[in-house]
Amino acid sequence: MRLILSIAGIIIFGFIVQQFLPWWSLAVVAALVIAVAKLRPLSSFWAGLVSGMLLWGIYAAVINAGNDGILAEKIAALFGGPAIMVIFMTALWGGLTAALGALSGSLLRNLSQSAA
Amino acid sequence: MRLTKLLLVLLICSGFIYLGSIHHPLGVSLPPVGDFFNPFRGFWQNAEPTSMATAKSLNFDELEEEVQVVMDERLVPHVFANSLTDAFFVEGYLTAKYRLWQMDITVRSTGGRLAEVLGEGLLEHDRLQRRKGLLWAAENTLAAWKESKDWPWIEAYVAGVNARISELTPAEYPLEFKMLNYAPEPWSPLKSALLVKSMAETLCSRNLDLESSNMRQILGADLFNFLYPETNPQQSPIIPAGTPWPFAPVALHDTLAGTEISQQLPPFRMFPNPSEFIGSNNWAVAGSKTASGAPILCNDPHLPLTLPSIWYEIQINCPEANAYGVCLPGAPGIVIGFNENIAWGMTNVGQDVLDWYTIDWTDDTKEAYLLDGQPQKITLRKEVIGVRGRTEPVEDEVKYTVWGPVVYDNGDSPYLDMAMRWVVHDIPPARDHHEMGTFVGLMKGKNYNDYSEAISYFDSPGQNFVFACRNGDIAIKVEGKFPLRKIEQGRFVQDGSHSDQGWSSFIPKSQIPQILNPERGFVASANQRSTDSSYPYYYLGGFDDYRGRYLNQQLEQMDNITVEDMMQLQNNNYSLKASEGLSALLALIDESQLQETGKKHLQLLKNWDYRFEADGQAPVLFEEWFDHAYSSTFDEIVALEDSVEVLYPETWRFIALLKDHTEHAIFDLQGTPTVENAGTVVTKAFQDMEHDLAENYPEGDFNWRDYKNTSVNHLARIPSFSVTNVAVGGYGEALNATKRAHGPSWRMIVDLQEPGKAYGVYPGGQSGNPGSPFYDMMIDQWANGEYNKLWFMRQAQDQDQPILSRITFSN
Repeated sequence: MRLILSIAGIIIFGFIVQQFLPWWSLAVVAALVIAVAKLRPLSSFWAGLVSGMLLWGIYAAVINAGNDGILAEKIAALFGGPAIMVIFMTALWGGLTAALGALSGSLLRNLSQSAA
Repeated sequence: MRLTKLLLVLLICSGFIYLGSIHHPLGVSLPPVGDFFNPFRGFWQNAEPTSMATAKSLNFDELEEEVQVVMDERLVPHVFANSLTDAFFVEGYLTAKYRLWQMDITVRSTGGRLAEVLGEGLLEHDRLQRRKGLLWAAENTLAAWKESKDWPWIEAYVAGVNARISELTPAEYPLEFKMLNYAPEPWSPLKSALLVKSMAETLCSRNLDLESSNMRQILGADLFNFLYPETNPQQSPIIPAGTPWPFAPVALHDTLAGTEISQQLPPFRMFPNPSEFIGSNNWAVAGSKTASGAPILCNDPHLPLTLPSIWYEIQINCPEANAYGVCLPGAPGIVIGFNENIAWGMTNVGQDVLDWYTIDWTDDTKEAYLLDGQPQKITLRKEVIGVRGRTEPVEDEVKYTVWGPVVYDNGDSPYLDMAMRWVVHDIPPARDHHEMGTFVGLMKGKNYNDYSEAISYFDSPGQNFVFACRNGDIAIKVEGKFPLRKIEQGRFVQDGSHSDQGWSSFIPKSQIPQILNPERGFVASANQRSTDSSYPYYYLGGFDDYRGRYLNQQLEQMDNITVEDMMQLQNNNYSLKASEGLSALLALIDESQLQETGKKHLQLLKNWDYRFEADGQAPVLFEEWFDHAYSSTFDEIVALEDSVEVLYPETWRFIALLKDHTEHAIFDLQGTPTVENAGTVVTKAFQDMEHDLAENYPEGDFNWRDYKNTSVNHLARIPSFSVTNVAVGGYGEALNATKRAHGPSWRMIVDLQEPGKAYGVYPGGQSGNPGSPFYDMMIDQWANGEYNKLWFMRQAQDQDQPILSRITFSN
């Protein structure tokens, strides 16, 4: 349950915060959500990865659908791949950002707990 | 243990964030990856929805009254304002909305500010632009604009651009800003002046002074004059031969035809000339020659084919003017277009307006030079060039003489000290209007007098302004600021130590070649010479020899002309160069020396109609054969290319040599014991061509389209933002002058009957965003020779065409 809530939390807060702040704010959001949710390091990494991938991947896919894939195709061609690749790369980058943030949040929480 | 783990993870996390946030990560030429892929701010935000909002409303304090904009199906804005200044504010806003990066990069390139955003690699480019005095020229122009009645229009336009820039969030930056990782900066009147200079640089900086001096020195005056005669006897000028010149010419002072530049020619390299592929066609036919009885005006300027396109289509409607046409993003007004009463267009004038002068320094410090025996101090201008990646900007000092800037004075290189005298640098005279006044005057124009007054404010780049009016008038005028030269003055590098080597003055505007309603019922230009030799002033420059003659021939023959006829003429692939060149080659070839494929190819050429159609093989054969014959004939000059700047004879001269001087020594190949003539050279050229073709196309599957590979390249040369190998025919010396990277950049046809009809197309689209469906939407249409019917709206409520959206700009 906490895992599902963490994923939902990162996605919702990530979506809001990233309207105003740069991309790496997603890592901070993930860290805070995980710290509150008290997830263990390994699950927190997965929660971050999944939520980041879903948030960035689905958002990119929605934009892409509205654009009929015009731009994704041109950007993909720069890297020599198919359009779907840039959506995957976007998702992966979002996933890694949130995962690393979530892991940091979890370890930070562990440390402060053991110190207390 | 926990602490170590935490520190390790924090290190990885911050390392990842750092790597994703830096410019050129790990030395790879990439934007900050995290920023770029971030769907909330990065490139995804430029992937426009293909369906748009249908109504929108914006608010700007700068506006005097409300402005309505109707966006039509092709994203062409129709601006309805209550004053010209309000209209120009909105024009500025819209060009920025759709073309901001193009505007930014164009003026950066012209003014020498590319290294600031692109880094070290562009430093030399920037330095050269400054040394050519482009920034100085723009500053001079700006000072004159400020004192003129054009100023409120320029200010309103700049305010409109800046209104758009200031509302942009990083997520909304045009894509290229994100890719190159820099932010848009405010627009300024100086940037609009730089844009005008950018057109001048493209259109009137071509000069051959050093090349001509070199060749005259190496070949000797006799051979030089034989190979490089200035006038093509077959020319068909813009102003019909025999037109009288009802004025007393200005007396000129004596000058020398150039100076001996140096006994030993240094391996000197000038900055490259702008492409010789720049050119244009325009014409107007009188009602006496059209089916409807009303004039028709046509124009297609041939410029670099780029994405975003050089032109932006717009209609501007306000109490003073209701005009439709294309503008250059970065400056107010409509450059080529029409209104209810008149239509206008332009082609470039090949007059040379840039001369070089040698400088005689008083000593090695190069702080003073001799002029008429007296030492003159140079003026130093400091140029500060920002370079991305450096902490301090680079400073350069450019020496200015009475002639202009000393472009090359580097003591460590064998570069010549020469000063550049260029009309484009000149401080414009104090008067009511300048370039912007020309365009506004044309937008408002109702008749010939309005047209004539409007274009009199135009100095450079010199243009053949064509005109047609609903009342039946047609006219053409070679407008611009052109030096008055003695014969051959400025053809070679001039001696800068004598002030009388300068231009006497400029051709008085009243004596500029022009014609109104000629008897033949049409006016036309295709960059050829303006007049025949009866015009009292010396001509110098590069002029077209084929399109203009063909155009005049065709228009002469045509009657009952319709818009469809004009469309076909603009897309006509016939080349006089091919018909004259091929007949000369065929007369000389020894067919007995050809193999079987060769004979087959020769037959293809003999059956050819001289049309450069996309799927044709003969155009490839002709082009290859002609080029091989040309370069083996002038092998003496090819051999010099590595050491000096050389000049090649003109195409028409080469064809004349093939016809009339077949035994001339120029045909003798260097390094062979035998003596060759035109026949041997032409036959060998055919065999060389066959050899090359067999090597490059073993299957024999070549065609003109693939060979030519017409490409509309993105301004930053990003391959997937470019459209390559467009399915299109055409040739530099055909009216459809579609070449590899240059061609008709806006085809317009205006039928001046009541109600008027106009047609247009350009190889691109209204949006400069590669993520927009409008980015390249007209390229196929353009390649197929198709046109859009241009929707000339009378009022904002017009409903006769589909509308994409309506935008209200309120104050």
